[in-house]
Amino acid sequence: MTIARIAVPFAALLAGIATPAAAQNQLDRNQIIKSLYETGSTVAALDPAALQAAAERAAASGGDNAQGPLSDRINTLPQLSVEINFDRGSARIRPESYYSVGLIADALHTPYLMGQRIVVVGHTDATGGRELNLKLSKERAASVRDALVTTFNVPAAQLTSIGLGEEQLQDPAHPDSGVNRRVQLLNLGP
Amino acid sequence: MTVLRLTFATIIMALVVAVTGIGSAKADTVGYADAIKILSRDCGKDIERYCATATLANYGVGRCLKENQGKISGQCATSLVQVTQSIEARRAAQQSADQVCNRDIQRLCPMTKRGRGYTLQCLLKAQPSVSEKCNAAITNAGWR
Repeated sequence: MTIARIAVPFAALLAGIATPAAAQNQLDRNQIIKSLYETGSTVAALDPAALQAAAERAAASGGDNAQGPLSDRINTLPQLSVEINFDRGSARIRPESYYSVGLIADALHTPYLMGQRIVVVGHTDATGGRELNLKLSKERAASVRDALVTTFNVPAAQLTSIGLGEEQLQDPAHPDSGVNRRVQLLNLGP
Repeated sequence: MTVLRLTFATIIMALVVAVTGIGSAKADTVGYADAIKILSRDCGKDIERYCATATLANYGVGRCLKENQGKISGQCATSLVQVTQSIEARRAAQQSADQVCNRDIQRLCPMTKRGRGYTLQCLLKAQPSVSEKCNAAITNAGWR
């Protein structure tokens, strides 16, 4: 089971990694910092609450699968996707993923990311109902945020969480693929 | 011959301890990831058996293991103490750093905008002139 996967070209560029496959198991604190570090010019406005509301509307609109991505703006933000394992159908983080959550905490405590507003975004694949997926992704993102804020003492004001279910697939051509199940971190800047 | 072998074993043991940081003063500066990794490594089976619903949030899994300390493996019990101490030491350092570094901030960063991020940047740049206590607090807080 792989712990980490860098899923965005942006991060791959920064880390000098050619393909997501090559990035397997290479997550470390500095990589998280590099991927989330904002230089000022890279920060775009994004309202997490509005995005959450859009996902709720989309999931409630019926149909089996999501039509397309909710936001293109997400892709312009400094970000990182991390694979975190949860119990089946639950928001409980599995022990094998404690390390990844700890690494995120260590990175957020460094002066490079201290005081930055970070959004934890939960995503599922398209297996199962859209509304159920949305609910699960919200709970899982909140579970990661809770662990960071409590056990790992990251200032609560720095972190929010939302869940987008299957409404923002990583690989829309393969909606049931495991690459879609991910926890994404976005940096909204100071 | 026996003496030689013993000495060799001791050296190996010392090396292992040095590399892993077990039992050394380094324990209180271990990062969150390295600390919590020890818990999933040494307590994985006990978590599955006794704490299957305990969460990482609020250190629920650590508290559950402690409640079951009569049942968990010896290795897990030892690691639980170590991990709990590491996490608490880091939190304590984070909470006391502002106070520990107060005089250094007054002395070395009088013109710096207040706020943890700004003063920390200043202290990191001024590291050679910063007091030993404050430098240690910053390290133990994981702020480098």
